[in-house]
Amino acid sequence: MSAAATIPGIGRPRRSGKALPGALWALLLLTPAFVSLASVSFYPIVNGLYLSLTNTSLITQEQDFTGFSNYVELWGDPQFWNAWWHTMWFTAASTVLETVIGLGMALILCEAFKGRGLVRAAMLVPWAMPTVVTSKMFGWLFDGQNGIVNYILLHAGLIDQNINWYGSTDTAMITIIIADVWKTTPFMALLLLTGLQTVPNSLIEAARMDGAKGWITFWYIRLPLLMPTLLIAGLFRALDAFRVFDLVYVLTGGGPADSTETLSTLSYKVLFSTLQFGYGSAVSTAMFVTEGIIALVFCLYLIRQIRRAQ
Amino acid sequence: MDESRKGPRSGSKSIGHVTIADRRQFLIGSAGLLGAAAFGAGTSLGIGRARAQSRAEISFASAAFFGKETFGDLIKAFNESQDRILVKNIELPPPSSSTEVYQGLVQQLARRTGTPDVFSQDVIWIAGFAAAGWALPLDEYFPADKRSAYFTGTLNACTYGGKLTALPWFMDSGMFYYRKDVLEKHGGKVPETWTDMATIAAAAQKAGDIDFGYLWQGKQAEVLVCDAVEIITSNNGAILAPDGKSSLINQKGAVEAIQFLHDTIATNKVSPQDVLSWDEEPSRQPFTSGKAMFMRNWSYVYPIAQDAKASQVVDKVGVAPLPSFPGGKSSACLGGYQLGVNANSKQREAAIELLTWLSSTETQHRIALNFGLAPTRPALFQDAQIKKEQPFMASLEKVFTGATARPITPEYAKVTLALQSGISKALVSGNIQAEMDATAAQIDKIVG
Repeated sequence: MSAAATIPGIGRPRRSGKALPGALWALLLLTPAFVSLASVSFYPIVNGLYLSLTNTSLITQEQDFTGFSNYVELWGDPQFWNAWWHTMWFTAASTVLETVIGLGMALILCEAFKGRGLVRAAMLVPWAMPTVVTSKMFGWLFDGQNGIVNYILLHAGLIDQNINWYGSTDTAMITIIIADVWKTTPFMALLLLTGLQTVPNSLIEAARMDGAKGWITFWYIRLPLLMPTLLIAGLFRALDAFRVFDLVYVLTGGGPADSTETLSTLSYKVLFSTLQFGYGSAVSTAMFVTEGIIALVFCLYLIRQIRRAQ
Repeated sequence: MDESRKGPRSGSKSIGHVTIADRRQFLIGSAGLLGAAAFGAGTSLGIGRARAQSRAEISFASAAFFGKETFGDLIKAFNESQDRILVKNIELPPPSSSTEVYQGLVQQLARRTGTPDVFSQDVIWIAGFAAAGWALPLDEYFPADKRSAYFTGTLNACTYGGKLTALPWFMDSGMFYYRKDVLEKHGGKVPETWTDMATIAAAAQKAGDIDFGYLWQGKQAEVLVCDAVEIITSNNGAILAPDGKSSLINQKGAVEAIQFLHDTIATNKVSPQDVLSWDEEPSRQPFTSGKAMFMRNWSYVYPIAQDAKASQVVDKVGVAPLPSFPGGKSSACLGGYQLGVNANSKQREAAIELLTWLSSTETQHRIALNFGLAPTRPALFQDAQIKKEQPFMASLEKVFTGATARPITPEYAKVTLALQSGISKALVSGNIQAEMDATAAQIDKIVG
């Protein structure tokens, strides 16, 4: 940024005395933005990285530089990999489901029908709810004894005895994914709806004139044009889902048998229950790196899509 | 915005809390300054000089408990009772936010500035604070003859490395709740062994007198460790070896005990599978709505069970010490808050005086009546006024006698996470020995 700003400054004849040189002005004006960004965004990341290379712990009062030993430990830590896989599984499942269902919702809401405004507003309610409230609500819905889900399934004859949704390793994670899908699909639908509205109507009308049916129009016109929005929305959602914390924390605390432990809950436990800031920072850094890789994959794919479109 | 993105940052809430505490301290500090200024004004008018100068100023930090009064009122009473020491009260979050209280205390103690001079601590933090050198050993102030006035189990929890580093304050423990009316139909005798308990519970379930035989807490959380400590100790087992340097959780006593917990769900089916995801409240609800015969829980359940608005079992609930295995002794997991003195306190004598006052018979008596928190001095359970106003509490002496500390180690925070995960895995999978071996290996690595 500063380099770009310097160039015109050099070319111009210097005005002496009264005003600062243009480059300095630019730098001066950028300073507040830079300082605020650096202090809230850059510094914590760097400090986290540094902490992850130390054995800092509030309990043992140690604070020595230990190189990569935290990462070596992390590499061989089954708890970490357990949480890593759960987080990836959660991210993939919830992102895919939310994208597919969100797309369906967006397509419906894109059509003109009576009361569309109302439906669009109502659709956003789950998303506007605090996640802790959603968590408690799903806690009751899927309650093993008195939950309505068990009640309905039991009376519909689909199960022959109550399922303990949060107490079984087979169902705990799935239930959390369902809760997340319910909550965040409206967000996806909203993003995709804006994307759909940028698809020119003339294209669709032209296709209809050529005799294309609904499905064909969707598959060959709307979807390709929606692709960049879809990818960006997916990226947002994936990065968001990767940090899942409240649902797990409220509903299961990571149990049973670590089957819902995610990287966020693990790093919370390591950082704030055992107060091992060094190792906890290493877990957080590993999260950061994984998120970076996810973002990279999405972006590369996105660039390829855009290139191909051109 | 989406709440889930707060994940990694949720800690900042807690850190935020600490800054709030700091700010509060700052405010208290400035209030102190104002006070000093007021005193200054006072002295210029010729009043209270001697008093202002001779009072030692110390601070007291504790999780905030409520009752008919607060700890702030308690400290005020102390300040008014004498004119040598002036205590300022630093209020931490309530005990339900135990992790935040812990963080707040650790941050203050780690600064080694001597603030707070006196603090209260959950029993599981005592060893960590002692090992870090933050808690002053109290042996010289409280020799053996003064200690004998407290429950032994509480004293054990207050001792680290052979030194008394905390003074018992008030306590709670796990206990065995039973339904008097249902038990009457099935022998009428409160079971003293786990096997008897399971047999009676299964019979009552079979007869259709009750939905669930026995409720306990199997959620992967701290309470699971409490349930485990109780049942393991009642089979003469232990989680840590006496020297605290290795784990005994894969030994016979512990494995049999965990096997019994697993059997309650899988074999004799006296417990619903749901206990695996239940902590205290979810297990309390079916009990007070009359669906269960036996339950392990803390003392808070009793007042709820006696409240006609919340309970279907008013006057039908009894409390006893938890059962044990043949040849073992009933054991109750110890909870509650104990007192400590900051090793860096600059006003040691004053701090000891406050500590002594807080733990005195009179103050514990007052806390029992006004906060409903049970005393750590057995003698108080015979007190006529407590018997009259808190009859349930007075009946708990027998339960508290069996109070057992959770593993005493400065690494408790790591040990408990390993235990929660390992025991939960054992209960879910049924491979008790294999999971306990893995857990023992993990704990050995932490404490060894």
